[in-house]
Amino acid sequence: MAELSLKNVVKRFGNFEIIRDASLEVSDGEFVVFVGPSGCGKSTLLRMIAGLEDITGGEIWIGGAVVNDVEPADRGIAMVFQSYALYPHMTVEQNLGFGLRMTGNPKADTERRIRRAAEILQITELLDRRPRQLSGGQRQRVAIGRAIVREPRVFLFDEPLSNLDAELRVQMRVEISRLHKELGTTMIYVTHDQTEAMTLADKIVVLRGGNIEQIGAPLDLYDDPANQFVAGFVGSPKMNFMAARIIGKTPDSVTVSLVNQDAVQLTLPVRDVPAIGEMVTLGVRPEHFAEAGQGDADLAVKVDVAEHLGNTSYIYANVADGEQLVIEREESRNEINRDKFVVAIKSSRAYLFDGAGKRLK
Amino acid sequence: MKSKSRSTATRSLLLHLALTPLAIIWLFPLWMMVVFSTMPDHGIFSPRIELLPSTHFAENFRNLQADTNFLRALTISITVAVVYTVLSVMLTSMAGWALARYRFLGRSIVVAIILGTITLPYFVVVIPQFIMVAREFKMSNSWIALVVPPLFNSLGVLFMRQAFTMMPSELFDAARVEGVKEWQIFLRIALPLARPTMAALSIILFLASWNNYLWPLLINSRPDMMTAPVALGTLIGFTKVSWGGIMAGAVVLTGPMLVVFVLLQRHFIAGIAAGAVK
Amino acid sequence: MQSRNRIAYAFLAPYLLIFTAFWLWPIIDSFLLSFQNTRVNPWTFSPGLNWGRLSRDPAFYNALKNTLLILVVQVPVMITLATIMAVLLNSPLLKARGLFRFAFFAPVVVGEVAYAAVFRLMFNLNFGIINKLLNTVGIPSVSWFAEKPPAMALLIIAVTWRWAGYNAIIILAGLQSIPNDVYEAATLDRVSKIRQFFFITLPLLRPIILFCMVLSIIGSMQLFTEPFLITDRGGPGGGTETLGLFLYRQGFVSLNFGYASAIAYTIAALAVLISLLNLWLGREPK
Repeated sequence: MAELSLKNVVKRFGNFEIIRDASLEVSDGEFVVFVGPSGCGKSTLLRMIAGLEDITGGEIWIGGAVVNDVEPADRGIAMVFQSYALYPHMTVEQNLGFGLRMTGNPKADTERRIRRAAEILQITELLDRRPRQLSGGQRQRVAIGRAIVREPRVFLFDEPLSNLDAELRVQMRVEISRLHKELGTTMIYVTHDQTEAMTLADKIVVLRGGNIEQIGAPLDLYDDPANQFVAGFVGSPKMNFMAARIIGKTPDSVTVSLVNQDAVQLTLPVRDVPAIGEMVTLGVRPEHFAEAGQGDADLAVKVDVAEHLGNTSYIYANVADGEQLVIEREESRNEINRDKFVVAIKSSRAYLFDGAGKRLK
Repeated sequence: MKSKSRSTATRSLLLHLALTPLAIIWLFPLWMMVVFSTMPDHGIFSPRIELLPSTHFAENFRNLQADTNFLRALTISITVAVVYTVLSVMLTSMAGWALARYRFLGRSIVVAIILGTITLPYFVVVIPQFIMVAREFKMSNSWIALVVPPLFNSLGVLFMRQAFTMMPSELFDAARVEGVKEWQIFLRIALPLARPTMAALSIILFLASWNNYLWPLLINSRPDMMTAPVALGTLIGFTKVSWGGIMAGAVVLTGPMLVVFVLLQRHFIAGIAAGAVK
Repeated sequence: MQSRNRIAYAFLAPYLLIFTAFWLWPIIDSFLLSFQNTRVNPWTFSPGLNWGRLSRDPAFYNALKNTLLILVVQVPVMITLATIMAVLLNSPLLKARGLFRFAFFAPVVVGEVAYAAVFRLMFNLNFGIINKLLNTVGIPSVSWFAEKPPAMALLIIAVTWRWAGYNAIIILAGLQSIPNDVYEAATLDRVSKIRQFFFITLPLLRPIILFCMVLSIIGSMQLFTEPFLITDRGGPGGGTETLGLFLYRQGFVSLNFGYASAIAYTIAALAVLISLLNLWLGREPK
């Protein structure tokens, strides 16, 4: 078991920077999730930690030592791949033991480790099968088993659930969570799915275009996003953004009006604000709209479509042409008045972002 | 529906009417090879039309053995083809692995040279090859001269490279993370997974070596070091040889390959078709 | 990971050594040889000698003419035949598919010497089965080996028999890669089977057929064993002498390596040139 840290890590292919100056501290036993849209560099960063990609600049520390020039096998890590990467021509047992056998680990110890991993994952009865005889979930377990067998200091997961169907994905997610509790090992997990990130992580690292946008506990990211990108990425359905303009300010508050409905005015407790007249973006999560009259400003919208899921409803509506909102309501089975639907915004549940997407607090 | 099934039946009939005569024409030379190989020479050179095999195969083969030491030539051919195939598959799969799975300086140049020269006629290299092997190394009539120069064949490199490229790279990364050495990854993971490609390649290479004519003809002229096709070729054109014997030799050269072809048709066709899909 | 680069070179080195020694270097050496006088000892640099002789040598022009004639007739005939074979073999209506495939594909495994011998016997003037069969339908015997036109025809027949199936295999693979729903859509649109062949199959096969033609052109340019063994060293009287045979004679009978190298490069240049011309003629219409 070990702590891990990245110090100003850079990755470049030719002139193209895939990772720009990434720094991160992971403490022993922590479950860290790298999340971001595809192409954000999260997998590259993971592969750099694994030693599968060279590091262009900066340092990676595992367990108190720089591992930049250490071979993958000597870093004390184990990795679970997106495609599982099971050797198709070997049985499950051979898959689990291949690495240990090839590196000359004592026979008895190899067998002990295989038995233990199989028990933890409940795949003992599959040991003689080949990968093609296994279901997706079983393959996933074997892939994790192959990592457990190495008794690593750090587990690395590269989008391990993306090849599973929705139901299995939830099941395996719970299982990985259980595994983390059971083993207590440091785990780093890459995904593009914010739900996975929110449910699994002790700490989430949000990446975009090779930059770390924000690092924090799941609910901290939800409650206190550093910028518009994180605000939009964390939470489902995603946060609504409305164009707004600053129309007044005091030392500890600011008043904005919506560009498309300038009668809607809202005062937010924000100190660090640009000048009056500047364009900003107002963010409100779908679940944070209140009933008409119960917030700080009422907003009349035109309803497009309403989806009723039973316990909740999602209402797709327009502030004006081209500016769409999603509004989440609790159990509203009643017909909605499409033209006169009014919701309220609470200033305590609204966020303000400047033109560059930076959060204004 | 009725008219549809009738037109299908008509089309099927036309199809078989067109293909059957063509197939008979195509099989005819092979059939005649068998027929000739079982007929005595006076039967081959008689004015009668003979379309059915006779019983003189063993006698013809004995005549062939008397005309040229064909059994010795067969031994040489088999040995050369086996050794050549094993060596070529080894060398080309290693090279294909390097070109498919590592990024190193000069990689794209090597690939470009191989692709750029693969269609050059063999005649362009045969003269310097001959000068080098026969004159500079003085290795005419040797086993090495038969086996080593044809190993330049780059078909296997492209073939194996293609197979290794298609394999998911995570498979090899997984092994690397586990500390498996590169050559072990090659031997224990890549090669076993490439087995079907290696089978197809082996068949094509074996056949090429077995039927190779020009190079063995040039380099091994001593009768006791001739391959079977060369030995048989020396008899064609002479009048005082047993043509039944030559045909028996042709059957012995062709028969086993036809059997292999029938048994391993899928690999065979895959091997030839893959050459086109590069 | 630098060490992984070294490993890559280690994997590549053994093959690269052989490839360089027996393929790359000879390509260069052959070019150099074509500018040397190899009839004196030691060989001397004499740039105009071989190429000058080549440009005046009637034997070269004879071989060139024969080779091109075979190429121009044989390649189109064989590719057409191979396409027909492939299309018919691909029909879902076909019974005894394995047998038909065997018939057409079997020549691929037959060695040049073996088939040369059989064709010599089959086309023998007095006792050959072909002439006997011709006689039974009232056609007089053809002296396949004594006159030039029949001898050329014989070579073309032999090469076509040997290689049509090979090309059919490649074309068949191409046919099988055409998705079936294209034809289903055409059938629903009431496009007849014949029109489907000309307007769907053939256009989609174009690259494969061009590839086969290029392969066949390169093969025909190198024709050697057939005129060497079937028509007895290019007989009658040089009537079927090909460039390959001419090169063999100059290089390995007269041992004039410089002149033979010039011939080799001529063969290579022509093969490339005709292939390019063919690709240009068969290019995708704009």
